[in-house]
Amino acid sequence: MRRRQQHKDDQAEVNMTPMLDIVFILLIFFIVTATFLSEEGIDMRPPPDNDTPPPPDAAPPIVIQVDGDNEIFVNQVRTDVDRVLSAVNRFRAEEPNSAVLLEVYDEAEHGIIVQIWDEMGANGVPVSIQRQTDG
Amino acid sequence: MARRASRVNTDEEEVELNMTPMLDVVFILLIFFIVTSVFIKEPGVDTVRPDAVTEDDENPSMLVAVTAENEVWVNRRVYEMNELRGVIEQLLQENPKGRAMIQGDEGANIGLILDVQELLSEMDVEVKISTLQ
Repeated sequence: MRRRQQHKDDQAEVNMTPMLDIVFILLIFFIVTATFLSEEGIDMRPPPDNDTPPPPDAAPPIVIQVDGDNEIFVNQVRTDVDRVLSAVNRFRAEEPNSAVLLEVYDEAEHGIIVQIWDEMGANGVPVSIQRQTDG
Repeated sequence: MARRASRVNTDEEEVELNMTPMLDVVFILLIFFIVTSVFIKEPGVDTVRPDAVTEDDENPSMLVAVTAENEVWVNRRVYEMNELRGVIEQLLQENPKGRAMIQGDEGANIGLILDVQELLSEMDVEVKISTLQ
């Protein structure tokens, strides 16, 4: 007891160095693990359902079908993947406001669909995707 | 000369650095990094993603990979489609406002990718298709 009372007279100072060490280590851990992950991507979600029927004078959509063997048909005409855009442009020359509807079979390759979607998007052609379910 | 003498005097005292302002700054930095850190669970599998021109930058917090063998990977594990909902719900609990990204391989079936996309959209998660950087 006596000893303690003697110490009371000293100026009490907390040694902060060990705490600072810990805080620094935590700080470095969080800086290192903070992965500001940035990815690039496209939005392929279908538009939300709406009940309003399209206006009767709307141009019929250009249908691009991609079947399970990755064969591409633009309005029933078979085309190569690199010629899809020119085929669509040909149809759009007659009907400038027509949109594109992608009808895909489940077994079609993702890469081809994204390529077509991207080509349409890059050229300002409105495009939507629909699944073909029957065989 | 008088000045010099006084300096020598102070040297003899115990010199202590006042660390309190530095500690404040360090704490604020620490709190900033704790708050902003989102622990992203990598799918754990490499996919060859298709390249695109019309892509946007995204900061996803949830990654779902679909490989060319049509396996769905989340957080370093393969899942079946019917298990995926539970896994996503678990991830959503950790990060309710999380946005998802599907890393689909070029050779993956579009049907599976659309399945995953529909599942995520149903659960009100914003979902994008990841492309090559």
